[in-house]
Amino acid sequence: MPSIRVKNLKKYFGKVKAVDGINFEAEDGEFIALLGPSGCGKTTTLLMLAGIYKPTDGEIFFDDKLVNNVPPKYRKIGMVFQNYALYPHMNVFENIAFPLKTLKLSREKIREKVLEIANRMFISEILERKPTQISGGQQQRVALARALVKEPEILLFDEPLSNLDANLRMLMRAEIKRLQSELGITSVYVTHDQAEAMTMASRIAVFNFGKIVQYGTPDEIYDKPSNMFVASFIGNPPMNFLKGFSVKSVNSELHIFRDDVELILPLKMKKGIFESGVEKFILGFRPEDCEIEFESSSNSIPGTVYVLEPLGRDIIINVKIESTGEMVKVFADKSKIPERDQTIHLVPKIEKIHLFDPESELTII
Amino acid sequence: MKKNNGELGFFKRNSEKIMTITIILILILITLPIIIGYFWLIIRSFSEDMVRGFVPTKLTLKNWRFLWSEMKGYPNIWVTTFNTSIVALGVMAIEVLITSLGGYALSRYDFPGRSSIMKLILALHAFPAISLMVAVFYLLKVLNLLDSLFGIILLKASLEIPWGTWIMKGFYDGVPWELEMAGLIDGYSRFETWIKIVLPLVKPGIAVTAVFAFLSGWSEFVFINTFIFSQKFWTLSKYVKGIIGDFRFADYGLVTAVGLFYMLPTIIFFFFVSKHMIKLTIGGVKG
Repeated sequence: MPSIRVKNLKKYFGKVKAVDGINFEAEDGEFIALLGPSGCGKTTTLLMLAGIYKPTDGEIFFDDKLVNNVPPKYRKIGMVFQNYALYPHMNVFENIAFPLKTLKLSREKIREKVLEIANRMFISEILERKPTQISGGQQQRVALARALVKEPEILLFDEPLSNLDANLRMLMRAEIKRLQSELGITSVYVTHDQAEAMTMASRIAVFNFGKIVQYGTPDEIYDKPSNMFVASFIGNPPMNFLKGFSVKSVNSELHIFRDDVELILPLKMKKGIFESGVEKFILGFRPEDCEIEFESSSNSIPGTVYVLEPLGRDIIINVKIESTGEMVKVFADKSKIPERDQTIHLVPKIEKIHLFDPESELTII
Repeated sequence: MKKNNGELGFFKRNSEKIMTITIILILILITLPIIIGYFWLIIRSFSEDMVRGFVPTKLTLKNWRFLWSEMKGYPNIWVTTFNTSIVALGVMAIEVLITSLGGYALSRYDFPGRSSIMKLILALHAFPAISLMVAVFYLLKVLNLLDSLFGIILLKASLEIPWGTWIMKGFYDGVPWELEMAGLIDGYSRFETWIKIVLPLVKPGIAVTAVFAFLSGWSEFVFINTFIFSQKFWTLSKYVKGIIGDFRFADYGLVTAVGLFYMLPTIIFFFFVSKHMIKLTIGGVKG
């Protein structure tokens, strides 16, 4: 299976810069995700990989071959669309057989291949039906079967699960991941759902405004977001931000403070903070990286409980920081659930704190 | 309480009934002149004579004699019918071919002048063809297509094509882009994708365009009357005009029979179309 390499890729539609100079690569057999909000250029990128759109500028390589001008049919790709794009006038069998008909195979051979993939996707019972007569989940499987039947070297997914209901989505997520790793087909998966990207891909490219803001493994993206956009886009609920912090050295300690709060930071952060030259900071911490105390202590932030959101396994506590009106979401220990309007003290795990530059929104620590 | 509810329900049903009956009555009243007209046409064509032009006298097939015997001074009815079919089918063939290509281009390609072409098409359709008569006469003369059915076909088709293209564009607009993308990725060229995937999905549009083209060719009179001189190229509309005659005594039995004969395909087509017109939806997959 080929690797994919994208260099300085651009796609402009008139004045609109849909994709504005992106770089990424996917190894042979790797599963990568392009993640971002709608209109960020991820689908445009996918369609350039498919050969539907021609890049305005930049290069796409499959292995070492430049494919910019190769029409889709010579790219050895399979694609699954968001709306499945099943041919409504053909039944399921004909839909799956359609890509094979270009290959000049015998009728028996085509039949054999279709039945094989249909078996694998558990749709052999519905081969005679039209796409409108089967459920969304079945349509999804048919679309996958059609993409796979030609044994493509690259698989492209354009939000394939977003039309399914939540349970089915979880099920298909696991199935697609398993299928991809069994077949070892290099895959690019476009999604706006961070959970899909995190669970399925080995690397994630986070898109915003036609650019890749971060490309890395799910852990890197989660633990070391490159800016506030990534930090707020990844994670559910997203990272909490508190504004207007300054830094000072007290004795040999590093303090970060504003009117209502003063926290002591680990000394190893000192270098990064002072080298950035930034004076005001935004402090960020994830909902799970925070303890709740009922008594005030040195490294704590006071707030009142705004509302409780039980999730069964966890409970999310919404805390209002009284002095600024900022809202913070934290996961609480079930043994330590406060009541509404109760005053509590948040103790963020100092090691897991992030600092951002409010001007550029880039990560400092 | 129970009784009250029942009464209320009954009252409601009753008022709905009255409403429906009123609507039906009004519709009948409006359509009555048309219904009476056709009814008269049918009765008259099978009747020896009409008392006061309204009451049929004796059942006869005499008025339909043009079907099996030569009428003096008129071309053979079957040659005329054949000519009419040639014009209708010719217009249909050209129009379907060009509108299915043109509609696709207008729907899918973004080329300079696209929006002005679309505006022009609408304007063109609003123009009465009759205003072009002199220019068309000159054009046909230059092309040596006067007194030729082929000339009529070209002329009629070219006047119908803008409208048909507009209709086809609408149908193409209803075909999702993704289906075409899928076709390209599945290994087909753009043209093959158009043939194998897009065209089957705009079949209803093609049917509508084809039927309307056929009917407009079938019912064409003005151009035939103006640009056809030889009786051997007459079509049915000209035949009807001929037997009404400018300087002859009109045989109304004959006129009604020929008129009815001329209308038959139209009637058949409309029965066929009305069924399909209701199903004018593109069979897209729920998304």
